[in-house]
Amino acid sequence: MLPARTLHILKQEEFDRLLTWLDHDAERAGLTYEKIRWRLVAVLASRGCLCPEELADETIDRVARRVVDIQDSYVGDKAIYFLGVMNNVHHEYLKRPMTPRPPEPDDDVEAKENVHLCLEKCLDKLSPNSRRMIERYYAEDKRAKIDLRKRIAAELGIGLSTLRLRALRIREKLQMCIEQCLMSEARP
Amino acid sequence: MVENRNQAIEFSDEAIRRFLLGRLNASEQPAFEQQLFSNSRLDARVHLAELDLADDYAYERISADEHVLFAERFLVSAARRHEVEVSIALHDRFAFVGSTKSTFIARARSLLRLNRLAWRYTFAVLIFILLVGGAWVIVKKEGRIKDVITKRWGRPRSPSPTVPAETNHPTNNSVPEHQTSPSPMPVHDQTAAPSVNAIIALTPAGSPNGGNIPSVKIAQQDIVRLQIALRPYEPGNYPAELLTIDGQSVFSAEATMVPKDGTAQIDFDIPARLLKPGNYQVRLSRDHLGVKQSMGRYYFRVQ
Repeated sequence: MLPARTLHILKQEEFDRLLTWLDHDAERAGLTYEKIRWRLVAVLASRGCLCPEELADETIDRVARRVVDIQDSYVGDKAIYFLGVMNNVHHEYLKRPMTPRPPEPDDDVEAKENVHLCLEKCLDKLSPNSRRMIERYYAEDKRAKIDLRKRIAAELGIGLSTLRLRALRIREKLQMCIEQCLMSEARP
Repeated sequence: MVENRNQAIEFSDEAIRRFLLGRLNASEQPAFEQQLFSNSRLDARVHLAELDLADDYAYERISADEHVLFAERFLVSAARRHEVEVSIALHDRFAFVGSTKSTFIARARSLLRLNRLAWRYTFAVLIFILLVGGAWVIVKKEGRIKDVITKRWGRPRSPSPTVPAETNHPTNNSVPEHQTSPSPMPVHDQTAAPSVNAIIALTPAGSPNGGNIPSVKIAQQDIVRLQIALRPYEPGNYPAELLTIDGQSVFSAEATMVPKDGTAQIDFDIPARLLKPGNYQVRLSRDHLGVKQSMGRYYFRVQ
């Protein structure tokens, strides 16, 4: 746990106010919140932080506590406000004594099994075309990758970048499906 | 690179990849971050590039340099670790499928990996079945197994059903002398019974101190056989115990009964090395269908 995080525990009221500030529609506010958090983690990771998730949460906590003061006066992209606060949090992080890298999570065989099982379930949910696309896109190993993708792109009459985009969008769906599947598996 | 903070900048896929690996230079990084927070299209591209990078890692398509950066700059959040897990699962599931050379191997590998848990349970069940089956065979075929063992490794036993059991001899603290003469090699399929070198016929005793008790001299004998005549013949087992005259137990065993025309003779074999000069008593009893009965005491002297 980082020291700054122990100074103030975010109250539910503050968190609710933050969501309302992001969007009056609760569902859209939740999505925006997730998106901002993901961006914060991406930037902090790119800057070489060892614990980007903790710093991202710390940033969000600080913004949530300030919303009461800025909500009426703030003008502009709210996401950019998070970036400014994140810069402050990052500066403070750099001044802190270096903490050792957190240990890698254990190689959990059972968790891997569950990912494989969920992958099978999620593949079954794909449309036949998407499934075929994924099977072919991920079929070849290393060197054969380029040739195969050129072949698939030519067959579909699309460019390589479009093919990549399509495949990755299906991959993105699979990722979400597998994460939901894993969560439902984890529930008692 | 940044012309106007509000103007969208097009970043290449290569720049996005460098961002993910923390390799943007000092001037690119702030512009990229600003765009990431304000340009939802870049946001979506970075997200797809994350998945692409995770796939490249799973398919071993990243260089050694990138491998280090991948671990230090990319694999630092739970969400990204999940992405890599899915990429590895996709690799396990689909890699090699298009390759005609390795199709069979890949499918076998995939099968083994996909159902590792199932395989584990299958092996556990197989081992359990083997254990239960083995136990069942041992219980059911015990007799046959014993026969096989006896035929292969066991030597024929002495006809005597007795199992001698030595007990402490309080008057004899000395260690039995080592037999210096080499024992003869057993002849195959012959009974290797110890030799009986002294036989004493015992009769129901009067006083143990009397001069009429039988006596024996022991030298290098293996066995001293005590013979007791039994009239009439009565079936049963005949446990016998050798004691000193003071009543200290020296040796006990089941004596052998040899029926002979309505009478019987009891043979009680005693290892000679247990005997020292002095008076001894033998307590003989009979055990028939669980009913025990004392058959008397017999005395003898060792000179």
